[in-house]
Amino acid sequence: MKISNLLEKDFHLVEKKKIFFLIPVAIVVVTAIFMLVYGLVLGSPVNLGIDFTGGYSIDITLGTKLTDDNRAVYERQINEIFEDLSDENGESYGLKVSSIQLQGEAESASLHVLYNAAGDERLMDEVINPALQQKIQAAIFKIVPSVAHESVSGGGSKIVLSYNFSLAVDSTFTDVQKAIRGALDGTAVDSIERSEDARTVTVVTSSPVTDEIVSKVVEAATIDDRFSGLVSPGNTTSASFSAELLWSALAAILASVVLMLVYIAFRFELTSGLSAIIALFHDILIMFCFMVIFHIEINSTFIAALITILGYSINNTIIIFDRVRENNKSMYASGSSATFIANKSVSETLMRSINTALTTLLTIGMVAILGVRDIKIFALPIIIGLLAGTYSSICISPAIWASWKDRKKKDKPSEPKKELKKAATV
Amino acid sequence: MKKKSSIVKLSIIGVVLIIGIVLSFCSFDIGLTTYKSFASSISLGLDLKGGVYAVYEAVDDNTENLDERMEGTRTMLLNLLVQKGYTEATIVKEGTTRLRVEVPDVDNPSEIFDIIGKPASIRFVLDSSNEQVITGEHIISAEAGYTTQDGYVVQLSLNSEGADKFYEATSNHVNEYMSIYVQVQGEEEQRISQATISTAIAGGRAVINGMGSYEAAKNLADQIMSGTFEVRLALMDSSTVSATLGEQALFYGLLAGIIGLALVIIFLCVFYRLLGVTASISLMIYGVLMLFFLAVLPGVQLTLPGIAGIILSLGMAVDANVVIYERMKFEYKNGKSIMASSYAGFRRATMAIIDSNVTTIIAGIMLFIFGTGSIRGFAITLLLGIVLSLFTSMLVSRFLVRCFVNINSTNPKLYGFKRGKGFENVDADKTDVAVQRKMDEEEALKEEKKRAKKNKDKNAGGLANENI
Repeated sequence: MKISNLLEKDFHLVEKKKIFFLIPVAIVVVTAIFMLVYGLVLGSPVNLGIDFTGGYSIDITLGTKLTDDNRAVYERQINEIFEDLSDENGESYGLKVSSIQLQGEAESASLHVLYNAAGDERLMDEVINPALQQKIQAAIFKIVPSVAHESVSGGGSKIVLSYNFSLAVDSTFTDVQKAIRGALDGTAVDSIERSEDARTVTVVTSSPVTDEIVSKVVEAATIDDRFSGLVSPGNTTSASFSAELLWSALAAILASVVLMLVYIAFRFELTSGLSAIIALFHDILIMFCFMVIFHIEINSTFIAALITILGYSINNTIIIFDRVRENNKSMYASGSSATFIANKSVSETLMRSINTALTTLLTIGMVAILGVRDIKIFALPIIIGLLAGTYSSICISPAIWASWKDRKKKDKPSEPKKELKKAATV
Repeated sequence: MKKKSSIVKLSIIGVVLIIGIVLSFCSFDIGLTTYKSFASSISLGLDLKGGVYAVYEAVDDNTENLDERMEGTRTMLLNLLVQKGYTEATIVKEGTTRLRVEVPDVDNPSEIFDIIGKPASIRFVLDSSNEQVITGEHIISAEAGYTTQDGYVVQLSLNSEGADKFYEATSNHVNEYMSIYVQVQGEEEQRISQATISTAIAGGRAVINGMGSYEAAKNLADQIMSGTFEVRLALMDSSTVSATLGEQALFYGLLAGIIGLALVIIFLCVFYRLLGVTASISLMIYGVLMLFFLAVLPGVQLTLPGIAGIILSLGMAVDANVVIYERMKFEYKNGKSIMASSYAGFRRATMAIIDSNVTTIIAGIMLFIFGTGSIRGFAITLLLGIVLSLFTSMLVSRFLVRCFVNINSTNPKLYGFKRGKGFENVDADKTDVAVQRKMDEEEALKEEKKRAKKNKDKNAGGLANENI
């Protein structure tokens, strides 16, 4: 039996097992170092998300002001406030918004903001949460007019400010008028008038104004609306993925691993089952290492990613062990070593391993590219798991199986003849 | 004849697939009713579509062990919600005295939230001595039920202490009256049932009969359950809540899925030529069936982990096809004819595919049994996906490949097949025409028998000649 195709040439993968085993070990060692460093520098070796650690929540009631159109703007503002919040030395607290959910409709509409704790309880309660509350209050509860600016004949300018709010109350309008005059200090103002429905204010000047001044006008014309909404004080929120859920997830994973092992041992051999399970743990471990090294937030979606790879990894390995099983039975393989059979089986299924990995990567890769933040965090470890799964099914599990088999054979008196094995390759 | 029937079969599958795709994605009006596409009928979970939330505040004056009791209440509340079918409900503790519950979109959220917020305390009292037998603290679960004898009832199962007390009281006071009092928070205590103790009741089960309707029984059961909570809860606030992953998550997720699938199809078609086309058709059939079952199966709620399950099973469906086609290539390379390779490919790959799928099914079942919430959602879509993947790769692909091979079994380029070294000059396909002819003749014979049955006279011999 001769195979000329390059892809099916014998790479003697099993013989190179020391290198292959060394790579994951090196990754684990590097991860351990990273954990140590993160632990010392950042205080936590693993970036556990709010699902596991719990955190804080703030409710921002915006009432009718919150529409579908401006929700994105509010969310961006909120994100900025959290990320920019820093202590008196200008050092950021490292706050991060984990999710912003819209609650209720119309008058009761509010944003439920979840974020991580950035210090001990006292710091959060006494410094950070009040600061957040104040900043959000100041930033969000404003009515900012939209602006249109054009030159009028005679060298003057016309600035039209439109509000989604009525300036029917005279004192409000006088305040706005006064503020605009202040902002236009030094420019001759012809008139500042409100429209009939009191929703637009038109400012006409006799000399031209720069864009800079226009933005000052807008700032001045912004109405403080401190009482239109409510920011709740930051409140602790427990982990949504409680210890119980975690234990039940672990129990589920363990139960599946044990039963899969039994099935594989029954359909193949115990050694195949054990090698497949070792490959599985390898894949999961590499995923975890990836999350640790790049300090990516580990949330409950990571559990979903883990169990996805649990299924994928086993599927991947079984196909190769099926070929091993078949080649083991076939005529030409009789008398040849397990190493030879494993190498041959890996080569014969190499094309399949590559193509399957590629196609799966195409789908999950698109999810990683197009998905929103949380989906990306979900897709990334799956991609790593896929790569690790492909690696372990080609380089690790067949090698483990072959080494165990050959050691067993060596223990027996009838050692396979090397000559015969060589002959079979030609 | 074989060729023709293959073309007909392929066209039928094509038409069915197109109809399936239209039904999956397009909603339209038929007369007075509106047809909702499969894709739009799938119910989505909290993370993708949002749902409703409720905040409960503890209204106990007793602050002793509050944290611990809140934790216990949280677990009990979660169990109650899961028992009611909200498997993906999440509960977090806010501050020290509040519980925030979120459940996926439901028909009437305020109803269940109200009931939980109005806990009922219950006690069984012996009329003769006014002695209290069991109370809410002895109750493990309360469920609505129906018995032919009593109509709608609330079935209570008691803990061991409650069971002992109940047995003792009922055995010592046979033929006496026992009353059940229920007090809903904020209302007066009511005697809702009075019955004669006819016999000693062992086994820790008690029944409240005389419920007017199933609804009434269910409400009382829920109120009794929330009455067993270690902390009294009052409903503070409840409303709709948007998706935890953000509004865009679903849209971009779908987009990614469609583009990803398109890329996979292009890849397969380029790499495996006609075989890639068959794989693509069966993948699309897989997609349509998946959407259909997600839409019609009761209790399936799609969440992010559920999508992971779909991606995994889709990956396995592709893998099964790849395994089969690689096997065919391998067989052709080693000297078999196209037709023989196509048969051997399926036969030899079957074992591998079944073994790998069964292992994953085992994992899926274990995750379903032991997992909670979203892990269970993952298990459901995974199991569904594997069954569909097995169906499409083992049956649909096989059928399609046969059709294609029947149409052309002489041009290896169509299938991306190449001879291996030493087999360059093997011309097995020539001999295979004979195989095909033989099969055609058998087919023609079958047809002839059919026709003979129907008493239609047609020349079957002429039909057989067409294939040569």
